[in-house]
Amino acid sequence: MSRHLIRAGVLAAFVVVPFYLEGFWLQAGLFAMSAAVGAIGLNLLTGATGQLSMGHAFFLAVGAYAYVYFAAEPTGSLGGLGLPTPLAAVLAVVLSGAAGGLFSPIAGRLKGAYLGIATLALIFLGQHLLFNAGPVTGGFNGRAVPPLELFGFVFSDAPELVVMDVPFGALERLWFLGGAVLLAAALFARGVLRGRPGRAMNTIRDHEIAAGVMGVPVARYRAGVFVLSSMYGGLAGVLLALVFQRTVPDYFGMLLSLDYLAMIVIGGLGSVGGAVIGAVFVSLLPQLLTRYGDALPLVAAPGSGDGVSPAEAARLLYGAAVVAVVLFLPGGLLGLLHSLRRRLPGLRLPLSANPTPSPETRS
Amino acid sequence: MTRASGATPESGAAPESGATPESGATPTYQPGGMPPLEVRDVTVRFAGLTALDGVSFTVEPGTVHALIGPNGAGKSTCFNVLSGVYRATSGSVRLGGAELTALRPHEVAALGVARTFQNIALSPRLPVRDNLLLGRHRLTRAGFVAAGLRLPRARREERAHEARIAEIAAFVGLGDLLGTPVGLLPYGVRKRVELARALAMEPRLLLLDEPVAGMNSGERVEMAELIVSVRESLGISILLVEHDMGMVMRLADRVTVLDFGRRIADGPPAEVQNDPKVVGAYLGTEEGL
Repeated sequence: MSRHLIRAGVLAAFVVVPFYLEGFWLQAGLFAMSAAVGAIGLNLLTGATGQLSMGHAFFLAVGAYAYVYFAAEPTGSLGGLGLPTPLAAVLAVVLSGAAGGLFSPIAGRLKGAYLGIATLALIFLGQHLLFNAGPVTGGFNGRAVPPLELFGFVFSDAPELVVMDVPFGALERLWFLGGAVLLAAALFARGVLRGRPGRAMNTIRDHEIAAGVMGVPVARYRAGVFVLSSMYGGLAGVLLALVFQRTVPDYFGMLLSLDYLAMIVIGGLGSVGGAVIGAVFVSLLPQLLTRYGDALPLVAAPGSGDGVSPAEAARLLYGAAVVAVVLFLPGGLLGLLHSLRRRLPGLRLPLSANPTPSPETRS
Repeated sequence: MTRASGATPESGAAPESGATPESGATPTYQPGGMPPLEVRDVTVRFAGLTALDGVSFTVEPGTVHALIGPNGAGKSTCFNVLSGVYRATSGSVRLGGAELTALRPHEVAALGVARTFQNIALSPRLPVRDNLLLGRHRLTRAGFVAAGLRLPRARREERAHEARIAEIAAFVGLGDLLGTPVGLLPYGVRKRVELARALAMEPRLLLLDEPVAGMNSGERVEMAELIVSVRESLGISILLVEHDMGMVMRLADRVTVLDFGRRIADGPPAEVQNDPKVVGAYLGTEEGL
């Protein structure tokens, strides 16, 4: 019962947000949603199957740039296919999966940290392509992202839309799209994790030999999870491109891959909830520091020389958070929530020894 | 304990076994269904070290066969060859018509060979139920898409196999622990979870690697009784590596003794027990080798 109430509350809060919060927070929230989708994918691979990947940023780039290329009309020096945008989005995710599939002979054979080293190559390959394949990627300048158009509804500011006296621009519209995509991605991943593939993946992580002996084709599973995780990365990339409205090659570098690893470690390895919490934490922290940097000591505007920039401060903070989680919270923030929930009834125990029933038990 | 219908691995089983898949406590013993395991001249070399040297033995259908020997005799290597984890340098291992030495572990598992591990190889964070359901991997179909979308097919499959898991857990004495994470269970109980997971594969051949190692005497007796009842109610062949001689002599129909990678004796327990070479290998007399 209470679970339904919590769900309804979360849904209501989610719907209300775009009516009250300004664009800055909507954009931050959308980045967090995109990051959450990507982090869920990485958690399937790294958290649940024990396969380290440093190449997640590459698959985000494939998703983002493939969407732009498929959806954009060709103009002058820039190529494009001009496909309907929803089709372009789907194809971008499929292409990310195919890119993961091309890498899967390696992803199936290497395990754990060794795969992490091999996937580093993807980052360098990606950066090289993004800067040099000009007609597709727009090179150094990146490309403008065509807005998504779903059944005649455009996710951009252009045709004005006012809902209950609130102007609904691109961010407000994308807010609901992002929420729906994240929910679908989370439910799918939860189904995978709780079902037959999830058990096989967890056993590959915990005991590779046992997994094989119990009938799990280990190499095929590793390759399959890598493809699935690439598709999540691609989906996150499409969402990111739609929110950012421009693709920037620098963004898809090594630091982004590290951010994703930080997300799943901080949030909690191997679970959907952990990926989402970690993604929210890691992607909102720099935004919070940017916004409230003036009020904080040692944080200063970039380039002013008075202290560290908000982005650097955020990296330092969540670097510290990773260390703290590894040392003190093996289950991540999600594990902390679970243990708090377990302990709360324990805290109430002395109170419930009292003969008068508490309000909760009476109702 | 009944065999789940549709879970019988034999395709060309005798007609009477197909007609009565749900017979009660008496096992439906399929004469054609349990092939012997024939190990012939298996040699395994790691670089310069010969871990197994021309070892041969046969596990007859429906028997308990023990593989014993001092530490480093090659018992675990032999198990790893049988389950496809190691490649044999030469020799052959046949189960019915299939040659196992060329197969990978999951392909060996698909033939109905299950094993347990000396050092427990369970997922500590998953509950007993999920660890046992992993044993159903080869008998189930749901892939990423079916599980992710929670298709009715996948849900039905999950429910059917959970019911069978509950039966197996009850048989092994884990009935009320299905929801407990394996990491919270005591050692002896985890050993039983390992056995239950192997049984969940509905195997034709069960390889048990030191099933009572590290257990106290009460747990040992329980495990021995369990192994006897597995053999009696399922009629499957069991190959057992064990150091506990009392248990080997009580349980085994036949014993193969390895020492330094070579077979030094093979026969019924009483015979092997008095073999001077075996006594020599264990106690270290000069004429032992």
